Order: sequence, then structure tokens, then C-alpha cells
Amino acid sequence: MGQCLICQNWVSEQPSLAQLLMMASIHAPVLCRSCQQRFIRIEGPTCPICGRQQTKTTVCHDCLRWQKEGSLPLVNQALYQYNGAMKQFMHQYKFLGDYRLRQAFSAEIQARIKQRAGAMIVPIPVTPKTERTRGFNQVLGLLGNLTTTAALETRHVDKAIPQSSKNRQQRLLTEQPFQLTAGADKLIRGNRIVVVDDVYTTGRTLHHAAHLLKQAGALTVTSMTLAR
Amino acid sequence: MQINDLRDLIGRQLLAADLTPELLERPEVQSRPAIKKTTSGWVCNRCGQQLTSQTRLPHQQMYCQHCIQLGRVSTLTKLYTIAENHTFRQSQTPILTWQGRLSPNQLAASNRVAANFQQTVPHLLWAVTGAGKTEMLFAGLAEAIQAGKRIGIASPRIDVILELAPRIQAAFAHSELTVLYGKSPEPYHYCQLTLCTTHQLLRFYRAFDVLVIDEVDSFPFAGNVGLHFAAEHALNASGALLYLTATPDTTLLRLAKQNRLRVTYLPLRYHGFLLPEIHRHLAFNWRKRLARGRLPQLVQRKIQQNVKHHQRFLLFLPRVTDLDPVESALNQLNLAGRFATVHAAHPNRADIVMRMRTEQLDFLVTTTILERGVTFPGIDVMVLGADDPVFSVAALVQIAGRVGRKPSRPGGQVDFFCHGMAQNVLGARRMIQQLNRRGQRMGGKAWVNA
Repeated sequence: MGQCLICQNWVSEQPSLAQLLMMASIHAPVLCRSCQQRFIRIEGPTCPICGRQQTKTTVCHDCLRWQKEGSLPLVNQALYQYNGAMKQFMHQYKFLGDYRLRQAFSAEIQARIKQRAGAMIVPIPVTPKTERTRGFNQVLGLLGNLTTTAALETRHVDKAIPQSSKNRQQRLLTEQPFQLTAGADKLIRGNRIVVVDDVYTTGRTLHHAAHLLKQAGALTVTSMTLAR
Repeated sequence: MQINDLRDLIGRQLLAADLTPELLERPEVQSRPAIKKTTSGWVCNRCGQQLTSQTRLPHQQMYCQHCIQLGRVSTLTKLYTIAENHTFRQSQTPILTWQGRLSPNQLAASNRVAANFQQTVPHLLWAVTGAGKTEMLFAGLAEAIQAGKRIGIASPRIDVILELAPRIQAAFAHSELTVLYGKSPEPYHYCQLTLCTTHQLLRFYRAFDVLVIDEVDSFPFAGNVGLHFAAEHALNASGALLYLTATPDTTLLRLAKQNRLRVTYLPLRYHGFLLPEIHRHLAFNWRKRLARGRLPQLVQRKIQQNVKHHQRFLLFLPRVTDLDPVESALNQLNLAGRFATVHAAHPNRADIVMRMRTEQLDFLVTTTILERGVTFPGIDVMVLGADDPVFSVAALVQIAGRVGRKPSRPGGQVDFFCHGMAQNVLGARRMIQQLNRRGQRMGGKAWVNA
């Protein structure tokens, strides 16, 4: 018994017989069923590069554009579609700062990352100012107590306009916002790296991060996001 | 939207994110911690509720999840305020521009309201639906405005605020008024009269000398610890608090019994006619019938009759999910009347209610959102599934009270269609009969349809 993190209604889930017999620890669901149903998992055919949900398995037009610009392909895996429910969720979690909401998807995203055994997890950082006012990094919140490597930090002291309030053109023109943290290049060299972010929108942020990590000698760089 | 004017911070308590960086730097701006530590744990200074271990942030910081929808209160921010200094523009005379007259019963209640605006003991004005509660405030409010006091009028219901605002503005035509709610299109500005939802009271701090809370027994104010705390703290130390309702809940009645609340009671409507009584009808298995695309025959006949005689009405349904089947069943009847359905989360909610008000619609199919605080002249009311537990006794009495509010048609039909016998319907009938017996003693008359 617990309250749904989003709608505050009470959730009570009957444990299954198998759960009872195996005496497995029973986790109360953190979202109620009707809230869960509003999020759409990415399943079936996706873009092989950015992991976007589509009807075919061909490279999507956004990724073709990245190719045309001569950027190396960044293979991304996303868990959910960025629909209205996810947008609202991100608003509540990031902008209102309801840190409890990290529990809604953290178990799922952690399970996915654990499938990539041996990879080094690099979270996308937030600016020091955001860290001060929001009080947390939303990506680290999703990752729970997984071991991460803080290889990246933000370059500009203050971002004039946050990425989320720019349009597509403005986003794509954004300059490299990151730099390597002190001593990070030794850790990165020769390693397989997964960069983790909350949302893949144009891919600009993740491409910048991947570029930096590859330059520093990473063996491979892939990315994972909660939504695409 | 961030505020930039010092005056907009007077008597309020806002977070750093609500103010522009320039305003935040001004020396006049005072601050106090947003969260305090007590012997029993961490407590939010804005809503007064206890924090739980669930809402811990990294680095030993805490935040409050109870009032987070109005911006997050945490140990990372403070509450910013400028003490109330009554520097608003004084109203021009004449202050009261309302020309109407009160009935002798109303006048007696109005005098008590005005007298209690000088007192710090909370006061409850318990007057039946259609008694003219708003008009009974005018004399007291006029006195308060004259005395240069700051006045707040709040309600848990946004529809109530939206209906109240033009009436208050018309009654005090030379006074400035600001209306504040979650998505209000007009920005807030500091002035003598503030109308707002009870949630917005969380953003005021020792501001009001007089605070009126209309429909005090309704959701979400009733039983909400945070909003009660907000109301107490929006009021200054010597301020007067007035509650208005037609259906006080047990909490208010208990306070009254303990002499912690003064009560003024008015069981008769201003036009002197009694409340319309509830007629019960059986609509056995109406949901099953609706699933087959048809309304109960009795309901169908009643609707057709009303449309034929141009009798406007409201049809109440218990649940939002009932609206669509009823709408499609009505569409099959090929009625000549225009109608719409509306519920709390309807995108055009305000617009549809406005169209009913301006008589562009003949009837409205709705949930409990229109149960109180709204007046459509000359309407009848039907409730399908009145025995559903979502309708409390108070809600049913309020719904019945939508009828007969105008002197030109001081009565009307109230029809409840139920699947079976239910305590809430019986309770509502009993309450109306009780009120009418008291009303009769004061000289109330029953209305007979000509």
C-alpha cells in the first residue's frame, strides 16, 4: 500500500502467488495503473541509431541529418516515448523539483544499464547554479546508487537560456557546453562508456558529450535516455 | 512569471524563483527560513505540515511535498516578504455603489457580519442556498474599506471566485480589486481588495485585516490542514475571519459548540420563499441501460418536456465517465434544445459555463463542479444517480439549492433519480425539510407553480 507518486491516489497491488511462494521481496508499485498507462514504452521497430519509436527500422531523418553534418553516429537507447505524460512528468520532477519522482522509473533504467556489464556510466551534469537551486542532478537521481563517473562538467558558469526552452534551431546551434573534469581523461581512455541523460530531444547535448569523450580516447561511446 | 515590483510583495510570502534577481537584492525585502526544525521533525513554514523522510534531497537538504504545486519550499530557499503597510490607493467615495435593498432578516445578519469584522473570534454565516450571502457582506466590507483595511475573499472553488468577482466589483465600483488563481490571465497587483482561491492564500503572510472564506465546507479546503494553516497565516494578528456556507460540516459545528466560532444563522431565502423540496424517482439499473445507449424512460420524458416548454435545467451526473454515454444517448433523442457537457478538467469549462449563463444553451450536463456558488436564473435541476456515494448530503442540498434563486421564479423542480434507497438522498431531503420548518416559523411561504 502506498500513494501513487503522480496522482496521489492509493495503490494496492495484490502480490501474485509466485511472489508469495518464492518469498521474494514485494515492492509496492510507485505509480497507479492509470498513471502507468499514460506512459508509452518504446517497443518494436525503432531508429537503429537514436532509438526513436517508428514504424520502420531505417535510420530516421534526424539521424540522417547528423550524418550529413559529418558527425559520428551515436547509438542511443531510450525507454519511453516523450509524450504529454512524460513531458508533464519531467516538469514535475525537474522544474518543480519533486525529487520523489525519481523512483518512478529508476528501477527500470538501472536494470537496463546493468545489462551493459563493464561499461562506465557517465551522467550528463547540471550547472552549479541548477545544482544549487534544484538541489539535485535529475540524471543521478534516476541512477540511484549505481557507481557513476563524473567525467563531465559544465563549461559556462551560467547558461543564459536553458536548453529546454529553446527551439530546434537554437538547440542545434548550441556550442559545446561541457568539458572534462580534472583527471577524467585517464579514467576514460580505452573504456566503453554509456552517457546517461533524461531526454533525447535533438541529440545536441549527447553528441557534444560523446564527441568530448571520444576525443579523450574512449573505446566506444553509446547513450541511454529515459525518453526520446 | 517573476514579479519585479516591490509592492507586489507586500503581505505575501514568495520563493526566490518567484522574484526577479533585481528585486531579490533590494534592502526592503525581508526573508525567513522556509522550513523549520521542531522537536517532532521538520515543518514547512508555508503550509505548516510535517516533512517526511521521502522528501530528502542530496546533501541533507529537505523539501515540502504538500504544497509543491505552488513552487517548491525547501531548505535551499527562503520565504521573501515585505510587511503589510497598507499603502494601497484609498478607495474613492461613495464606497458602496450597490443599490439593492436587504430584507429585514438579511439586514440583521448583515449587521452581525459588520460587527464581527471588528472581532478576532472567527465567525460563521450559515445561511441557506439563495439567502443572498454575498449581499449580506457588503455593509461590513464597505466599513472595512472605509477604515483602510486590507480585505481578502477566498474560496476553494474557482467557479465561485469567477462568479463573485464581477459582483464585488460592481458593488464597489470605485475600489481596486485583483483576482488571483492558478492560471489567472491577469497578473496580480497590490490593492485593497483581493479575490483568490484558498490555495493562493499559501502565498500571503499576515496580509489581511478581513478574510472571508466562501463555501468553506467544500473540497479542497474542508479537512485540508495546509489550507487552514494558510488561511490563519494570511490573516494578520488582529484580523477578522468570516466563513460562509449553506451546509456547514461537523468540524465547523463542533467549533461552534465549543464557542470557538460565532454563528449567525439564516434559514430563509431573501425572497421569502421556502427551499424547493426534493422529488425522488426510481431509475433502477440506470447505468446498465445507459451502457445500451438509452436513458431511463422517466429521465428521457422529463428532458423532452423541459426542452419543449423552454425550461432550462442542469443535469448532474455522479462521475466524469458517465458524461459521454449520457451525451450520446441525448444525441439520439434529436432534441430541439442546445446542450453541452462539462467537468472539472474540461478544456472549455469556463466558456461552456458562460454560454449557459448567457442563455446560449438550454441545458448543461455536469458533474459536481457546478453544485455550489453558481446561479443560473429560473432553472430546474435533475440528478441521475443521486444515490452515488460521490454526492454527500451537503452536495445534494447545494444542488437542490440551485433552483428558485430569483424573485421572478422563486421555486422550481428538483428531481433525483436513484438506483435504490440511499442515506445521502434521505439525509438531504430531511435537511431541506428541517430548514423549511424553521423558515416557515420566520414567515416563509411555499412556492406554487402557476
